[in-house]
Amino acid sequence: MSWFSRLKNAVNSRRLEQELADEMRDHRERRAANLEAKGLSAAEARRQAGVRFGNLTRLVEESRGIRLWDGLDSTLKDLRYAGRAMWKSPAFSLTVILSLGLAIGANTAIYSIVDAAILRPLPVYAPSELFRLSWMGPTEPGGPPAQERVSFGYPIHLQFAEVAKPAARLTLFSYLMRVEAQVSDTNAQVEKITRQYVSEDAFEVLGVYPAAGSLAMPKGQAVAVLSYDYWQRRSQANPSILGTNITIEGKSFEITGIARKGFFGVEPGRFVDVWVPASLYDARALVSLGWNWFQIVGRSNRGVTRERLQGLFQPVFHRAQSEQVKQFPMMPAPSRNQLLRSTLDVHDASTGVADFQRIFGRPLWIVFAVAAGILLIACANVASLLLARSTARASEMAMRVSLGAPRRRLIRQMMTESLTLSLLAGGLGWLLARAGAPLLVRLLSIESNPVQLALAIDTRVLLFCTGVSVLSAVFFGLVPAWQASRTQPMMSLRSATGQAGKLRLGKIFVTIQVACAFGLVMTGAAFLFSLGKLFEVNPGFDARNIAVLDITTEAGKKPEEAQRALMFELQRRVAGQTGVVSTALAAWPIFLNTGWDQRIILPGKGPSERQEIFYRVSPGYFATMRTPLLAGRDFQPGDSGPANPGPAIVNAAFARRYFGSLDVLGRSFAHQLGNSQLHKTIVGVASDAYYFDLRRGAEPIVYLPPEGSNGFTLYVRSALSLGPLARLVEREAQAAGSGMRVREVTTLETIIGNTLLREKLLAGVGGTFAFFGLLVAAIGLFGLLSYSVGRRTKEIGIRTALGARRKEVIWLVLKEAGGLVNGGLLIGFAGALAAMSVFRSLLFEIRAGDPLVIGTAVALFLVTGALAASLPAHRAASVDPILALREE
Amino acid sequence: MAKTNSAQSALDLLVLTIVERRGPLHGYGIATAIEDLSQEALRVEEGSLYPALHRMEELGWITAEWKASDTNRRARFYRITNVGKRQLQSESERWSSFSAGVSRVLRHA
Repeated sequence: MSWFSRLKNAVNSRRLEQELADEMRDHRERRAANLEAKGLSAAEARRQAGVRFGNLTRLVEESRGIRLWDGLDSTLKDLRYAGRAMWKSPAFSLTVILSLGLAIGANTAIYSIVDAAILRPLPVYAPSELFRLSWMGPTEPGGPPAQERVSFGYPIHLQFAEVAKPAARLTLFSYLMRVEAQVSDTNAQVEKITRQYVSEDAFEVLGVYPAAGSLAMPKGQAVAVLSYDYWQRRSQANPSILGTNITIEGKSFEITGIARKGFFGVEPGRFVDVWVPASLYDARALVSLGWNWFQIVGRSNRGVTRERLQGLFQPVFHRAQSEQVKQFPMMPAPSRNQLLRSTLDVHDASTGVADFQRIFGRPLWIVFAVAAGILLIACANVASLLLARSTARASEMAMRVSLGAPRRRLIRQMMTESLTLSLLAGGLGWLLARAGAPLLVRLLSIESNPVQLALAIDTRVLLFCTGVSVLSAVFFGLVPAWQASRTQPMMSLRSATGQAGKLRLGKIFVTIQVACAFGLVMTGAAFLFSLGKLFEVNPGFDARNIAVLDITTEAGKKPEEAQRALMFELQRRVAGQTGVVSTALAAWPIFLNTGWDQRIILPGKGPSERQEIFYRVSPGYFATMRTPLLAGRDFQPGDSGPANPGPAIVNAAFARRYFGSLDVLGRSFAHQLGNSQLHKTIVGVASDAYYFDLRRGAEPIVYLPPEGSNGFTLYVRSALSLGPLARLVEREAQAAGSGMRVREVTTLETIIGNTLLREKLLAGVGGTFAFFGLLVAAIGLFGLLSYSVGRRTKEIGIRTALGARRKEVIWLVLKEAGGLVNGGLLIGFAGALAAMSVFRSLLFEIRAGDPLVIGTAVALFLVTGALAASLPAHRAASVDPILALREE
Repeated sequence: MAKTNSAQSALDLLVLTIVERRGPLHGYGIATAIEDLSQEALRVEEGSLYPALHRMEELGWITAEWKASDTNRRARFYRITNVGKRQLQSESERWSSFSAGVSRVLRHA
């Protein structure tokens, strides 16, 4: 009887009993009818049939027992055998459970992240109907490759929404911002939260229902919707928070609703705490075409294809691009043409709209593949262990075969053992994954941009974990089970013939291990070297001991000069403190992807094809960064101001690109600002320094003197550690007045390190897994060689007796080891080369066939292989010929 | 494999033979067939027939399904499987050698 129907019987045993009783009653009635036909009265016939049949209830009971338990019985027996076998060799069982558990745990942990970040649909109504809009931005000569642009302006969103009727409804989401907020009714402190602006009917379109209150955002009303998570954190899910106010960045909003539990926004990887209406965004953003600060997500009606939507949106988009081009008459022809030709894309948004997916999507898949490689190695290792053990159990198998156990039964029993082992390992893996996944997420997260994933216990992840465990059992258990079941009692009782097949299988498993391990070592080495090269990059400044402080003031309404004076006042105060080496002001920190790009206009020429980086810094910037000035002078306090032409410092890359030499002091250029041109005279030349990214190389930069602002960056080079320094600056900021205070403190090294998260993830996980892979493969190789040396004891004894020297015997074993490793090395090498060319873009200055990587991997493998082979080789060399020959 | 006692395996042998030769039969049909064929020498006890049928069904030697019978009553009909046919083959061989052995002992003792 099938497992399924047995399960059905077990679950629905009332029905089973009913059927059994029906069958037996039918029997009794037939007998009665028969007796009646032979001439008995109806009552008598029924009585006799009843007497003859006996106790129906007891019979039903008996049959029910048979139907439910007989088949289970043999399974239970298998389980008992499996338990006993595991108990008898605890070292073996522990090794298997630990190594498999680690591998399954790694896979499950990474799968749970991939699932939460990439695969799982948003927790909204019919997520497959959601779409998002984007277009490919223009490229500039020598600039980075074209990037997908996902942000649009408020006006164009309204036009899109108009043409989409009635096929689709559109919503708007701003970028997520970490902002300071305070819930008014409680005596809560000011805290950092993640805020997002959304259009008024965003929740309705998404199909997110409220946990409390209402999620509508009527135009112009200062209302706020909290996430369920934040509601719990803030007020322990107290509904009385509705109707109270929350102050965000000085503005007050009435809390009118709580979004449903489990909804964190449309960006997997980020949790939104508070949503506020887009209509309360900076008023200029709502009317100007250039303020592309919103992502557009829509829901199409049933049956509306994304192609049809594209057809609706494209004319609107094209019109907007033409407008854009008209507004910038200085735009060079290539850029103009790119803009006019660009098309709007409509993408599936069922899994959300995340930067996280774009940045970490590929690295996560790679890490997943690496984890799969580890699992494969672990499985192959367990398989060869099982194979070796089946030799030890050959006589047990032989005994059972000769007692008439059919082969299927033996395979079933061995598979039960394998399944038990792998399910135990799966349980361990599950626990490891639950603990490890959040740690891995933390690896991807930075303070100013915290990554959060809904890693809650999830049936999909549980299914994945179980599935992987069962598949592993099939992979590592089936072949050894089949092999063991082929035991010929006679052969096994006679001696160890038939072992050649076992050795051959063992070789296959070692080959798999070596191939995977070598592949992992090569990719791990590639990622490690890549990260190493990034660390070696000289960015043109010295990031050590530089603190970066984000400062705000409440002087936003004051004139520019007053704000600037305040900034210089803070710089002067901090510079005077003991322990501070030097200080500088800047508009924002470098390496945060924040920038201001302008086209360069040389005298008598049109605007440049490329846009160059403009960066406002104070006197002392180059000294603080230790970026040498090659010629000319640093800025002076008097340099700021509306003078036209004003002073500028350019870097060597800029001088070379626009003037063809470094001798550019006193030369001038201009850039566009609105409708007027601002002229600059070069007063200094700085050496090249990186601005956005270590991978991109040094780009041309124009440095301008600082402008007053109510938010700016203070760089401090000092011998102080971050905490005391922050307190010192905070004290001086308060003393300077105008509500000046420190918003954020970090180090330049941290900021730069945060641009290398992907590389760190790949190198960290890749390197660790490569190490484990190597270790396991070495153990596998050692095991097989030991086994083979054991088998060849007699042969080696004869060789030694015939005068083979120690060196020659060792060579014999090493040669065998080499033979074992060769095939795997080739396969692993080919696989790693293919993989590396696929993820070439994630490597820095490492080519697919990089000799450094290959050389390191091969050397590591040779050393490991030699170590793994040395013990068996030594044992072979110490074989005493007399003992070896007497053993027979 | 649990060793079955000879009475039980004899009943199995009879049941398998009947369902193989006579096609799908319900329990009562099997019992009467055995009784008729043995000219009432073998009387099948319901108390052992049904457990035997259900046990063999569990072992996969026979399968059963509910069908309307000749008299338009619902009955459970048993049919032999391929595994059952192989089992029948080896059981009947064992039975022949067993009975031959027994008769030899009876003859020559």
